[in-house]
Amino acid sequence: MSVSGVMKQGRVTPWLYVLPCLLVIGLFILYPVVNTIALSLRDRSGSEPASVQCTSDRACWGILENYRYALTAPEMTTALRNNALWLVLMVPATVGTGLAAAVLADRVRYETLVKSIIFMPMAISFIGAGLIWRFVYDLQAGSGRQIGLLNAALDGVGLDPVPWLSTPGLTNLALMVVGLWLWAGFCMTILSAALKALPAEVLEAARVDGATQWQLFRRVMVPMILPTITVVTTTLVIIVLKIFDIVFVMTNGNFATEVIANRMFNLIVTHVGRSTAIAVLLLLLTVPVMIFNVRRFREQEEMR
Amino acid sequence: MKLRWQLWTGGMLALALLASACAPSTATPPPVEETAPPATEPATEPPVAGGIDCMGAQPGDTLTVMYQWSGAEEEKINQIFQPFVEACGVEISAESTRDVAVLDTRVQSAPPDLLFWPTTAPLTLYPDQLLDLTDVGAHQENYAGFWIELGSTEDGRWLAVPVKADIKSIIWYSPAQFDAFGYQVPTTFDELNALVEQMVADNNVPWSMGFESDAATGWTGSDFIQDLLLTQQGPAYVMGLIDGSVPYDDAGVVAAYETYVAWASDPAYTVGGADGTVSTGFLDAIYKVFSDPAEAMMVKQSGFAGGEVLSQYPALEYGVDFDFFPFPGAQGMQGGADYLMAFNNTPAASALVAYLTSPEGAAAWAQTGFDLSPNSNAVGQYTDTQLAKKADALAGASGFTPDLGDSIPAPFGLAEWGAIIDTVQGADIPTALAEVAAAQQEALAK
Repeated sequence: MSVSGVMKQGRVTPWLYVLPCLLVIGLFILYPVVNTIALSLRDRSGSEPASVQCTSDRACWGILENYRYALTAPEMTTALRNNALWLVLMVPATVGTGLAAAVLADRVRYETLVKSIIFMPMAISFIGAGLIWRFVYDLQAGSGRQIGLLNAALDGVGLDPVPWLSTPGLTNLALMVVGLWLWAGFCMTILSAALKALPAEVLEAARVDGATQWQLFRRVMVPMILPTITVVTTTLVIIVLKIFDIVFVMTNGNFATEVIANRMFNLIVTHVGRSTAIAVLLLLLTVPVMIFNVRRFREQEEMR
Repeated sequence: MKLRWQLWTGGMLALALLASACAPSTATPPPVEETAPPATEPATEPPVAGGIDCMGAQPGDTLTVMYQWSGAEEEKINQIFQPFVEACGVEISAESTRDVAVLDTRVQSAPPDLLFWPTTAPLTLYPDQLLDLTDVGAHQENYAGFWIELGSTEDGRWLAVPVKADIKSIIWYSPAQFDAFGYQVPTTFDELNALVEQMVADNNVPWSMGFESDAATGWTGSDFIQDLLLTQQGPAYVMGLIDGSVPYDDAGVVAAYETYVAWASDPAYTVGGADGTVSTGFLDAIYKVFSDPAEAMMVKQSGFAGGEVLSQYPALEYGVDFDFFPFPGAQGMQGGADYLMAFNNTPAASALVAYLTSPEGAAAWAQTGFDLSPNSNAVGQYTDTQLAKKADALAGASGFTPDLGDSIPAPFGLAEWGAIIDTVQGADIPTALAEVAAAQQEALAK
């Protein structure tokens, strides 16, 4: 029985149902996006076109002058490089940790306990996590006793305390560890659910065929949960592109740890044009991930 | 059964949401109670309210003010407001925030009547909305010329009057330790250098330096370098850096950085060397000089350090265990000030401005002991010996320079702090300063 035979709806009625939602989206999402893009073409106070910032001794992109800053200024290239580092190092590490935890916890009796412990950091706000780890990494100079967990451990074994949060290069990794601690639980939960949904017969058949544990994992389990791994990875990519709280609380971008969102925040009051240009840049960077997600969603729909 | 459980949970959630929506918002503190003198403050007699001019304000008028003070500082400003509130019956509704973004949003939508801010940044951000203080009833005659200049725009409108000042070109030390090792308080920069070398020879660490301050990491280094510049180059040079006529990578600045980095990055001269300087908090750095055993001999820090030492080590006595001397050789005093600015010219607002800039306001400020008051009527009214000595230091200085970090636009300031952190950790000084000079040029270009 077709729908059109049961309910006679006018062509306008569905639009009326959707109208309130469209209004809300239009007011709170579309309008700010359009306004942000418009502001990114203006100067530091938002009152004149960005081209007034051009000086004769430097290259100038006219109305897109703020984008020239966002893409070529030294502090921005550092920020972009740091975001890339987060993407390349932190995301695979977090997904890998979550996957390992999911697979290993699956086979032990105290599975619930382990999973709860790994998942608990997700209940902490990002700022709280930043503060906690600030204390873990703390360094006391001079003859005082170390109060930071890591440095106290090093001190106890007789090694020199390490300035975790003030060494360019090492600090980035220290911040990524905080991110991993926060989100490994998220990855683990979703991947664990996917693993449990795997049909037991396939795994049994593989075992009967003589597959080792590692081969079972690599050749059977991972390919079967690949869609879930992709979902988790794309979510983490979006989170990492927007990362701000951890960097702001722990180092505020010093010691070569600055990220894009941090720069945008630092500029929001003094230079509206540049700040919004960075926001638009962030939006553009997230768009491919969104397109990828939507495409996969459509493929899955077609498969049904 | 299941449905009842769901209904119950849903009902509880709805109640919780409703309760949190109706509870008083904690984002803005509740309006200041007029009659709530804090019990912990020493009993100071408020001056006679007879001299306060209410300028047409009626009892029950409300006045919105915004400031950065909270906790003990907020109690002090309330104590200073008290005579005015009692005389005129005005209700002061205060908002306390340190976030410049909150200030920005408020100014764009519904500006507070009066603003107390620790920098003159609002003068560059909101020149059209701030009112000339002579129209709002301020007594300009009670302030020295350089204070008026600092609070005026280029076209001569007087938009900000300093109500609270703190001196920064001072070095805190322990007289007990100095006596034990036979050190003399230096009066020239060469004597300071010699003293530092003598301390190192005696296996004492001369300096305690600490940058770390969350988003403002590096500001103590900026203060130190400014004092070095005041000594080596002079106040006009520092003002040139602030208004952009002297580029930040000038040879004078490089020399100051070289002196500073030599001290800050060497573990023999500073507790912990470079790592210690960048990871120690600025408060911890103050404590290190007065701990038992002392980890360092001197710390260069603003006047507030005295209060911090007392709250950390209540048994210490000012003058015996901790004291300060002005930075030797500095041609002028570096300082910070909190400025009062006006957005609306209501009778209540102009009455408060008139009160604070009058002799009664100066007396109230001095007796409450809320740092120094730039009001010339405050001289001689301080009841606290520490403050009296600071006031003398300020009065006896050959000039006054505002804190560079407070006076420059944020992008230039952030670049400066970045350069200080990098150079202390070993970066090449001229290269780092060239980047700051570029930020300076951009930020100050009109």
